[in-house]
Amino acid sequence: MSFTFNQDDLNKIKELKTRYPSPDALCLPCLWMAQTKEGYISIDAIDAISEQIGLAPMQIYGVVTFYTMFHLQKPDRLQVDVCKTLSCKLCGSDEILKHLKSKDVYVNHVECLGSCGTAPMMQIKDKNYENLTNEKVDAILEELL
Amino acid sequence: MSEICEVIVDGEIHEAKEGSLLIDLLIEEGVKIPYFCYHESLGADGNCRMCMVGIKGEKRPQIACDTLIKKDMEVFSNTDVIKKVRTDILELELLNHPVDCPICDQAGECSLQDFYMDYGLHESKVEIEDKVKNSKHVDLGSSVVLDQERCVLCARCTRFTTEITHTNELGIVGRGDSAKVTTMPGRELSNPYAMNVVDLCPVGALTSKDFRFSQRVWLLETHNSICHGCAKGCNIYIDHNKLKYKDDVIYRFRPRKNLEVNGHFICDEGRLSYKDVQENRQEFSTFNHIEVEQDIAISKFKNFLEQHHKNIHILIDANLYTEEIEAILEFAKSIKAEVFSPLEVYTDEGFADDMLKCSNRASNYKTIENLNISTENPNNSELIINFNHPQNFESLMQIDFCTHKSDTNSLVFAIAAFTENEGSLTNVDGITQQTQKAVKKNNPQPSIIEWLTRIDL
Repeated sequence: MSFTFNQDDLNKIKELKTRYPSPDALCLPCLWMAQTKEGYISIDAIDAISEQIGLAPMQIYGVVTFYTMFHLQKPDRLQVDVCKTLSCKLCGSDEILKHLKSKDVYVNHVECLGSCGTAPMMQIKDKNYENLTNEKVDAILEELL
Repeated sequence: MSEICEVIVDGEIHEAKEGSLLIDLLIEEGVKIPYFCYHESLGADGNCRMCMVGIKGEKRPQIACDTLIKKDMEVFSNTDVIKKVRTDILELELLNHPVDCPICDQAGECSLQDFYMDYGLHESKVEIEDKVKNSKHVDLGSSVVLDQERCVLCARCTRFTTEITHTNELGIVGRGDSAKVTTMPGRELSNPYAMNVVDLCPVGALTSKDFRFSQRVWLLETHNSICHGCAKGCNIYIDHNKLKYKDDVIYRFRPRKNLEVNGHFICDEGRLSYKDVQENRQEFSTFNHIEVEQDIAISKFKNFLEQHHKNIHILIDANLYTEEIEAILEFAKSIKAEVFSPLEVYTDEGFADDMLKCSNRASNYKTIENLNISTENPNNSELIINFNHPQNFESLMQIDFCTHKSDTNSLVFAIAAFTENEGSLTNVDGITQQTQKAVKKNNPQPSIIEWLTRIDL
């Protein structure tokens, strides 16, 4: 198995276990730990999580595929999450999306990221970029690429 | 909670246990109710929403599979509102369905097809090009093939691998339109009961690699029988068909519900054992491998019996029907022969598990024990008459009654296999069950009882 949790991770999992009535509840925290570590969730990581929390690998795999925030492949380009829900849509996320697709980035169309007051918005590496216009997107990407 | 109470369904009064599932009552009483995700063995899941019924006092229609029976409940299953609700839900189930019934193996035994005839009959609002495309033949392993487009996501198969076999191979991935049943990448559906998901699947999504494209199900004739794979005595259906100018052929075994014995399932090995029953059969009486006429075979039989007066030993296969075993005992008495049925040969510890598979591979060994037949090996035999027992012992002369080809140089009588005959078997738990005669061969082999009558000493 190429993926292993280190001692810090294991301690953290142990601490988390005390918070919930069933270890199944640790599925999402463990997946986040794995994704933060490697940038994506490998099948090995799923097996390692399964070992820790006792949920079958297939069930964890189902959770990974359910959420747009988890990735099963290592992203080869800069990943941009664009909100596809109502407020952003009304404030012009379609145009932002179209503009982003012409750039050399991996665009992920995701569910609401909770920043409706500052729509349209996108998220790159856990950082929110808000009140977007095409020009703003250009400036942000120039800085990051 | 378990008191019997009265429930009114469509104006008729029924009795049911308080706290039991409403859908169980409706199914039992033959009230027409459509459902995909509910299955008696898997319990309620409530995901397909097809089993909507009206309940007096409730604002909205409720799903019958998740409704517990209460005292004086009044249920409506065929009002206009309920019919409309079912039609609308069915339309959603069919949204991305390819409707490829003419090439689908499930056609004829498909819940979706049946419910469409009952509640659907609507024009689809979705153009074929707009339907979500998915994989049409994913080989899941264990002879199960998945068509992801036909799936209605009832999750019966995934619940089977999670709750019944605890092997967790199948799951639903993705969400919304792109949700589908699959295995983990690079992993297979692999457990000894895997093919039961084919029976569980209410639509044509999961089909058996072994059976698919071999027959249309409405052409098959079905008979009740008992699996002969081990001493458990799982109840099965034998599906067979005689095509014009061809012989009667078995196409599949399917599990038959019997809560006392096998529940709803059978193991894959038992399911596929129909092949062994049909292959390599002894089709004629032979002597030294040369075909002989029936009359000659019988006269040779009598001849051999006259040549030997002592140490005549009879071997009985512990898979024979009780009626046959009793007839052989009767016959043994008349020729003063000793009877043996060595059982050790049937033991297969590697086969057993804690679900249905039993380490004793003889389906009627209990009867051998009940009738006090010796399970020792025969010794110093002069003449052995072997009634299909798999073992051969040393003797001066041997007569065999075989269902399948044997390589002994003896006088061999061909006999009917269990599918071509009827009788009773007693399983490992002492439950006696009856089978039906299913297959009618063009060249039928006599049963042991028929042979013994024809030989008539």
